[in-house]
Amino acid sequence: MTRLRDVRVDDSGIFARSRREVVVDVLFDDRRVFSFWLRRDSQPVEGGHLFAWPRAIRPHLDGHTEMTMVEPATGDELYRGEVRLGKGDDRIAVVNRDGAPLALDKSMRKVLTFDTRSADHVEPLLDAIADVLGTLKEAGVDAFLAYGTLLGAVRSQHLIGHDSDADLGYVSKHEYPVDVIRESFQLHRFLVAAGYHVTRYSAAAFKVDVIESDGSVRGLDVFGGFMRDGHLYMMGEIRTPFRREWVFPLGTAVLEGREFPVPAAAERLLAATYGPTWRTPDPAFHFEMPSSTHRRLNGWFRGMRLDRAKWERFYSVPERGRRGPSELVRQVARREPDLGTFVDVGCGRGSDVAFMARRGVPSWGLDFCRRAYADREQRALRHVTFQLFNLLEVRHVVAISAILARLPGPRVLMARHLVDVIGPRARGNLWRTGASVLRQPGDRLYLEFCTRAGADGYAEKNRVTVRSSRRMIDELEQSGATVLRRRLLLTSPDRPEASSQVCRIVATWSGERPPDDSSLDKPVEHDLTGDKTAEHQTNAHEGGQ
Amino acid sequence: MAMIESLRQKARGVARGSTQTRLARLEEDVEECRAINIRLAELTDLVTELLLPVAQRDETKLGELLDRYRESL
Repeated sequence: MTRLRDVRVDDSGIFARSRREVVVDVLFDDRRVFSFWLRRDSQPVEGGHLFAWPRAIRPHLDGHTEMTMVEPATGDELYRGEVRLGKGDDRIAVVNRDGAPLALDKSMRKVLTFDTRSADHVEPLLDAIADVLGTLKEAGVDAFLAYGTLLGAVRSQHLIGHDSDADLGYVSKHEYPVDVIRESFQLHRFLVAAGYHVTRYSAAAFKVDVIESDGSVRGLDVFGGFMRDGHLYMMGEIRTPFRREWVFPLGTAVLEGREFPVPAAAERLLAATYGPTWRTPDPAFHFEMPSSTHRRLNGWFRGMRLDRAKWERFYSVPERGRRGPSELVRQVARREPDLGTFVDVGCGRGSDVAFMARRGVPSWGLDFCRRAYADREQRALRHVTFQLFNLLEVRHVVAISAILARLPGPRVLMARHLVDVIGPRARGNLWRTGASVLRQPGDRLYLEFCTRAGADGYAEKNRVTVRSSRRMIDELEQSGATVLRRRLLLTSPDRPEASSQVCRIVATWSGERPPDDSSLDKPVEHDLTGDKTAEHQTNAHEGGQ
Repeated sequence: MAMIESLRQKARGVARGSTQTRLARLEEDVEECRAINIRLAELTDLVTELLLPVAQRDETKLGELLDRYRESL
């Protein structure tokens, strides 16, 4: 039996000594909250190991709880004791705003897990699994339970308590990645047409959102796979020697009293995924895949959601207070009184889109993070259209450009603090969008980006990196654009020495020329058209380099 | 003798360095080839879903088609 010695629980974390590695379930007042590996996940100190409290749970650790540590494989209790953390006197409650119990998943993120949900809550998920499997079958693929959901079904006929989502997989009939990707696009379309909300993870995997009986949304992940050269490749991180007859014809397994399809040799897939010890529960399991597998799957299927998780996290916090329109959109409104269509690329929560729409201009908000504009989209404001738009997906760029190019002109594309958060590939696609949409007289691109990060913290506050205005102009010109104006502005004009600097550029692909062509041959540090009105009406004031 | 040994070590270092450089370049090339799969799939999807119908020059249908396509992105 495993023994933990010298266990100490305080604000710094959980300290223990053990002769061998051990997986530990941590329970507060007899409810499991998270799991960890004592050695793998801790710092070695004082001849033992200190597991620091995961960041996600720290805000909850203020009060008393009876903490238990259990070895999940055997059910042996390794520690039990009343602990006090922080300065609070109440019982520690790890719950969300609605009081629903939370736990941490294997990536130490807060989730509603199955072990805190009643059968009534799980039923809609099982319905959704059946529905999505049925829809995928109609679309031409025989999908099956995969990863944790398959593991739960085969090992115990139940959803795994510490899991928080359900996983499906399929093995394509195709053997070339390009065909597997095309098939994934088709499946995605099919599911959307069937009424599902789908979010793409990569070119071969996506998430289907399922709304449960209490209104909470749970993700159902669909992982594409295919056979090639005697190997099974499956998104997530599988590359393993495999035979097609180990998948087809599909068998069945019981999950929560219902029968679902599983691969013909499910145990082989489980062994490939979780190792030979897959029958022993390990809630803190981490995938360890060879880097060659990672590189292969990355190269074939990934690279279209850079930084999305970061922005999803940022926008998961509700907007604090009402944020007014930016100075840039006000400037657009002043300068373009006859605007036919306004498009904010990288619109975030969409306050600038709403501002322009209130002025009666048909306005589009584009962002690669649907969550960002979800609130405003629900309000169904007049003249406003929001659209998911990912500059790393050529399909988005071409299709949305085709739509925007058909809207009434003159058209303005505005991108405020966008080019300073995206890389060259996405920027290339932004210029491509401009080149497709802004081809008529009067069409304009308005850019604003950070060119210098000062001590005033402007760059940090806006989460941007610095870009050279010369480089942006070079890129624009290489794409066929004409730069009509460039202006550099200080963000803290009263403290020039500490100020950051932003650059505003107006460009077009319509063939128009700036008033004084020769001034574009050298770096410009002042307003090109001589328009001085903005100086008095912006927060950011004109400044020198 | 020490000088010869030192030269040998240097030669080995140069050889290793150049092999490593070439390996890194090859890895980049392989990645580039792999990434073509997504591009090709995206373009083929656009051609089959949008461009072929566009070639039929039906304005109303094209509008509907674009709307449906954007909903599925």
